[in-house]
Amino acid sequence: MSEIKLTIDGKQITAPRGKTILEVAKENGIEIPTMCHDDRISQTTSCFVCIVREGKNGNWMPSCSAEAQDGMEVDASSDLVRDMRKTALDLLLSEHSGDCEAPCTISCPAHARVEEYVRAGRDGDLRKTLEIAKERIPLPLSIGRVCPRFCEKDCRRNVLDNEGVAINDFKRISADLYYDEYMEERKELTGQKVAIIGSGPGGLATAYFLRLEGVASDIYEKLPEAGGMLRYGIPEYRLPKKVLDKELAHFEKMGGIKIYCNNELGKDIQLDKLKKEYDAVVVAVGSWKASGMRTEGEELARGGIDWLEELALNGWKGEDPGETIVVGGGNTAMDCVRSALRLTDEPVHCMYRRTEKEMPAEQIEIDEAREEGARFNFLTQPIKLRRENGKLVLECLRMELGEPDASGRRRPVPIEGSEFEVAADTVIAAIGQKTLAPKGLPTNKWGDVDVEEADCRAEGNVFAAGDCVSGPATVVEAVAGGRRTALGILAYLKGEECQLPRQINVSRGHWQSMSEDDLVYLFEPDKNKRVPLRLIPLEERTSTFKEVSYTFTEEEILEEGKRCIECSCTAKGDCKLKDFSETYGAHPETFGGEKGNNTYNSRHPHIIMDNGKCVKCGICVKVCSEVVNEYLLGFKNRGFKTKVETAFDTTLPEFCTDCGECIEACPVGALDWKKKKDE
Amino acid sequence: MIKRIKVGMASCGIAAGAGEVLELLQEMAGDNKVVEVGCIGHCYAEPLVEVETDSGDYIFEKVQPKEEDLQKIIDLDEFSRFQPHSPRVDKERQLITSLAGKIVPTSLEEYRANKGYEGLKKALEMEPDAIVDEVKTSKLRGRGGGGFPTGLKWSFLAAKDSEQKVLICNADEGDPGAFMDRTLMESLPHQVLEGMLIGAKATGARQLFIYCRAEYPLAVKNLNIAIEQIEKEGLNIIDGEPVKIMVKEGAGAFVCGEETALIHSLEGKRGTPRYRPPYPTDYGFHGYPSAINNVESFANIPLIVRDGGENFAATGTENSTGTKLFALAGDLEYSGLVEVPMGISIGEVVYDIGGAEPGSVKAVQIGGPSGGCIPAEHFDTPIDYDSLTSLGAIMGSGGLIVIGNNRCMVETARYFLEFTTRESCGKCTFCRIGTKRMLETLERITGGEGGPEDVELLADLGKKIIQGSLCGLGQTAPNPVLSTLKYFNNEYLAHVEEGHCAAMECKALVDVFIDRETCIECGQCIKNCPVDCISEDYVIDNEICTRCNSCIEVCPVDAIARVAKGGEVSVGN
Repeated sequence: MSEIKLTIDGKQITAPRGKTILEVAKENGIEIPTMCHDDRISQTTSCFVCIVREGKNGNWMPSCSAEAQDGMEVDASSDLVRDMRKTALDLLLSEHSGDCEAPCTISCPAHARVEEYVRAGRDGDLRKTLEIAKERIPLPLSIGRVCPRFCEKDCRRNVLDNEGVAINDFKRISADLYYDEYMEERKELTGQKVAIIGSGPGGLATAYFLRLEGVASDIYEKLPEAGGMLRYGIPEYRLPKKVLDKELAHFEKMGGIKIYCNNELGKDIQLDKLKKEYDAVVVAVGSWKASGMRTEGEELARGGIDWLEELALNGWKGEDPGETIVVGGGNTAMDCVRSALRLTDEPVHCMYRRTEKEMPAEQIEIDEAREEGARFNFLTQPIKLRRENGKLVLECLRMELGEPDASGRRRPVPIEGSEFEVAADTVIAAIGQKTLAPKGLPTNKWGDVDVEEADCRAEGNVFAAGDCVSGPATVVEAVAGGRRTALGILAYLKGEECQLPRQINVSRGHWQSMSEDDLVYLFEPDKNKRVPLRLIPLEERTSTFKEVSYTFTEEEILEEGKRCIECSCTAKGDCKLKDFSETYGAHPETFGGEKGNNTYNSRHPHIIMDNGKCVKCGICVKVCSEVVNEYLLGFKNRGFKTKVETAFDTTLPEFCTDCGECIEACPVGALDWKKKKDE
Repeated sequence: MIKRIKVGMASCGIAAGAGEVLELLQEMAGDNKVVEVGCIGHCYAEPLVEVETDSGDYIFEKVQPKEEDLQKIIDLDEFSRFQPHSPRVDKERQLITSLAGKIVPTSLEEYRANKGYEGLKKALEMEPDAIVDEVKTSKLRGRGGGGFPTGLKWSFLAAKDSEQKVLICNADEGDPGAFMDRTLMESLPHQVLEGMLIGAKATGARQLFIYCRAEYPLAVKNLNIAIEQIEKEGLNIIDGEPVKIMVKEGAGAFVCGEETALIHSLEGKRGTPRYRPPYPTDYGFHGYPSAINNVESFANIPLIVRDGGENFAATGTENSTGTKLFALAGDLEYSGLVEVPMGISIGEVVYDIGGAEPGSVKAVQIGGPSGGCIPAEHFDTPIDYDSLTSLGAIMGSGGLIVIGNNRCMVETARYFLEFTTRESCGKCTFCRIGTKRMLETLERITGGEGGPEDVELLADLGKKIIQGSLCGLGQTAPNPVLSTLKYFNNEYLAHVEEGHCAAMECKALVDVFIDRETCIECGQCIKNCPVDCISEDYVIDNEICTRCNSCIEVCPVDAIARVAKGGEVSVGN
C-alpha cells in the first residue's frame, strides 16, 4: 500500500492512501468537529462543520469526504477555518427550533435543574428532588417558602391553563422531608480559609459552594443571630425562624463553616486585618439602608426595613402601631403592611404613587395583604409629613399616569390642586433600600460594591456577594451571586482566571408568544389545574405571625408533578450542535429569520421525531437503510423546506423494531426516546 | 411555384400561436405541403411561416391565424415579409443551428440530406483515440457552463477499462429564461444524437442517456422519434454492437443539472450532489465510469468530426473556440436565440443583435441565476470563458438577460437568489440555510428595513456559501448578489442609508403620486384601482395603495408616477 505525506495544522503526517482528511486527522490526534459523519455509513457531507482549508491553493473541503492527498497542507484550526465553522453552526442554529434548557431553568437566577427535580418529585423520589435542587439552591427550606418563583412565571404550562407548575413547592416539601438527613458530598478540607462578612443568603451561599470544594470559611455577623435578611427582613409569617434555624444548622454540620455573631465590621472586626489573616475575604453585607421619602418631615416616618428588623429583634412581638400608612409598593412594603395588620386592629394603608399594575411587589403578596385587610391608596404621593395633636399628618397629592419612564412603567404625574391630608399613628417609608458599602471598597453609581464581572472580585483578595453587589434583590438571586463569587474565589485560590463555560440556549420562545400548537409534547399532558396552596385561617393571619401557608402533601406534589410538560431537550447533555456552538462561539441569534419545519411526530409510543431540531444531516436515513437494512426514513422537499420523514408522514411503522440506532446516531435531539434519562 | 410551406412549431412558436396558424394553413394550402419545423431563433417574430419556392424562400413574421392573412402568404404577397435586421445578420454565425427551423426535426431523411450523420460515418471509420484527438484539437469546452475541455473529459472515459461505460447528455436545462438546449433538441434532435453516438465511439460508452427535464415534452417527443428512426436504420450500431440510447425525464429539480445529482436522479435516488472527487469518469452511473456533456456540446461534435477540429477552432478566440448559443431576454428589442462566435463583445450582442437602445441598459446578467451581472461600462468585454469569469460572471449555459435602467439591481439580485434558494437541494448547510438568510436580508433591504450591517452580511455570507457548498448550485448562487454588490454598491447603500430606490421598483420605498397639474380628471385611475385608494379629488392614499401600477398604466396623460417615498415631485414629462 502506497503512502502519502501531508501536514495538518503544520504537523507532518504519513498516512496510507485512500483515507479522508478527517480519518487521518483523527488517527493523528487532531480533533476536527463533525456532525454528519458516521463511520458505519456512506458519506452524507452535509453539515460542513468539519470544513478545512488547503493552505497552498486556498480550497475549502469537507474533511469527512475529501481524501487526503500527497503534499497537502491542511489547515484545520486557523481563525479563518474556525470562522467558517462558526458560520456553519450559526446557520444551523438559526433554523434550529427547540429548548436546550426548559424556561424554568433559564429564568431561575440560580439555574437550578428544575425540570429534573420536578420529575424526580413526580416519580416519588423527593430526596432526589432535594439533591438536585441543592446543586444550586443551598437554602431550599427558606427559598422553598419565600422565592418569588421566577421559574413558574416563565413555565410553559401557562400556555395551557395560565398557571405554571407549582415548582417552588417541590423544593419546600423535599426540604421539609429530607433536609435533616441529606448531606451533600464535600471535598476534603484543603486548609484554605475565607472570611465572610455577613450571614445572609449571599454570604451563606458563598460559604456553601466554597465548602463543597474543600475551602473552609468563618462567617462574621453583626447582629445577634445569623441569617441576614432571612431573619431580620422577611417576616416570621413567611419564613418561621425555627425553619431558618434548621436551615442554618446544616451549614455548621457540613464542617468547616463557622458563624460568629455580634461581630460588626469596623468595630469588632477590621477588613485590613481579615485580608491578611484569611486567604480571601467576602463582603456580603446586604442592602440595609432604608431610603427616605425625600419630603419635609421624613424623619417622622420609620424606615421599612428598620421597622421590620426591630420587630424581628423583638421576636415578632411589637407594640400596636395604631393606624398605619406604609408608603411604597414593593415586597418590603407588603411585609410591613402585613406585619402591621398582625399587630393592630386599626386600619393599615398602603400608599403607592402608581397603580396596582405597576407595583413591584409580588401579586400573591398584594392579594394576601388585601385578604388580610390592607387598604390600598393608589396614585397617591406624600409631599409632607408633620406631627399634629399626637397624630402624624401626611400631606398628599393625587397622581395620574403619564408617559412611560426609563423602567417602562408609566410615570406618575401630579394632578394640580389635588392636595389632601390623611392622619395616622405610624408612617412607614418602604421606598427602597441602599447598600452601605464598607469603606475602602470600590463602588458603582448606585453605591453598591463594584466587582469584576468575571470573578466578583472587588480588589486584592476581597470579593463581594449578594445584595451589596446587585442592590436589593431576592434570596435566590443572592444565592446565585454567592455561587459565582465562590467560583471566582476558587479560581483565585488556584491562581487561575475564572472562566465560566460559555453556554448557549435555543428557545422556542416565551409562553406568552406561544399557542398550544407551538408546544411539543413527549406525552399527552395532564389536564388538571394547579394544586392550590392551602393557607391557615384568616383570623390567625391577622392576629399571629404563624406561617401563612402549608407545605404540599406528598399526594398533592405527585399530582402537581404530572402537569409538567418537560419542555427541555431530550438530548440535553448529548447535543453536538450545542457543544460545537459553544466551542466555536456560534449563537442562535447571529442570523434571525424563518425557522423552517417545526412539525413533530410523537405518535410512536417510545420515539419522538422533532423536525424543528433536525439539522438534515441524513445520518438517520442512512443508518436505517445501510446499517439496520430497513428503509423507514427518507428526505422530503427541497432547500430550506427539506425534512426527514417517514413514508407518507405516518408514524414509524410496526416493523420498526425500536432498535434505536437512528437515535444513537442523531447528533441532536431530532430523533429521541420520549422517556428522559436523568444523568 | 411553391415547394412547401414550413411553420415554426417549436415551443416558442406554439406559445405565440403557431398551432392555429398551422391548422388553418393545412386547410387552405390545397396541394401544397405544409410541414412543422423548429425554431430559427427569431422568437420575437413568432409565429413564423416560411414558403419554399422554386425561386427562393420567403419568410413571414407574426403570422395571425386569419384566412385573409394566410391567403396573402400563399400568394407570396409582400405582406408581413420577415427581414432580419441587418446588424444581427452581420454578427451572427450560425454553425450548429444552421439547420434549425429549416428542416423537419423528425425527418432523418432531411437531416441526412443536409450532411447529417456524415460526421458519425467518418467517426465510425476512425480509431477512438483519433476522434478524441480531433475534439481536443477543436478546443471545444463544455457548453453547460463549466467550460471543461470536452476532449479531455472524453479521454478520461476512453482510458477506463470497464465492463460498462456510460455517456450522458445533460438536458436538464433549468435556468430561467434559457432555452438553448430546448431549441436544439426540438429543432435538431438528430444532430444531438449524432454527437452522442460519435462520443460513444470515441469513449467506448455503450449505454447512453439523455437526462431531459420533463417540462420539455416536445424535446422528449422529438428525441424519442429520432432514436426510433436511427435504431431502425441501424445508425446506432458501433463496432457491430447496438448502442442503447434512453431518454430519462427529470422531475423538475434544478439541482439535477449538476452532474452528481443528475446521476443520483438517474439511478432513482434523491437528486442531491456528492463530493467530488471521485469524478463521474471514475465513479459514475451505478459506479461505472461515466461522462456527462451538455446538449450544445454534443451538437457541436458532428461539425468537429465532419469538418475537422482545426476548422472548428478557427472560429472564436484562442481559448474559447467555436460559437455559443445565447438566449436573449429582458429589456431589449429582439429576444430570442442567437448563435454568435466566441469573442464577440457583450455590447455587440446586446445592442447590435438584441437591438437594445445604447444608454438604456444598466447591465446584463450572464449565466442565469448562477451567473453574475456585468455593468454597461464593461460591455466591450469579449464573450469567452475566461473574460467573463474575471468579471465575476460565468459563461453559464447561455442565458443572457438585459437589465434596463428602470430596474433596481437589489431587486434583480433578490429575484435570482429567490430562484436558487428555492432550488437548493437542502443538503449543504451553507446553501440550504445560507441562501435563505441572504434572501431574507435582501427582502429586508428591498422592503426598506435593511441597515448597513445587512450589506456587510451579504458580502460575508455570500463568500462563505461559495466556499462551503458541494456543488455548482451553492457555489454560484451568491453570484448575482456579489456581482451587484461589486458594481452597484451605491444602489444598496441608497436603499439602506436613505431608504431610496432610484429605479422606483421597490414597493416599500415608493409612493404613487398624481400630478394634479397634468391630470385631466378622467376618472380612469379611480375606476381601475383594485383597492379603491384614490379619492374623488384624485389623491392616492399610499397607506392602502399596493403599488400595482394599474392607475399608472391607464392614465391617458401620464399624470401618475411612482415617486420616492414621502416625496411629491412633479411628474408627467
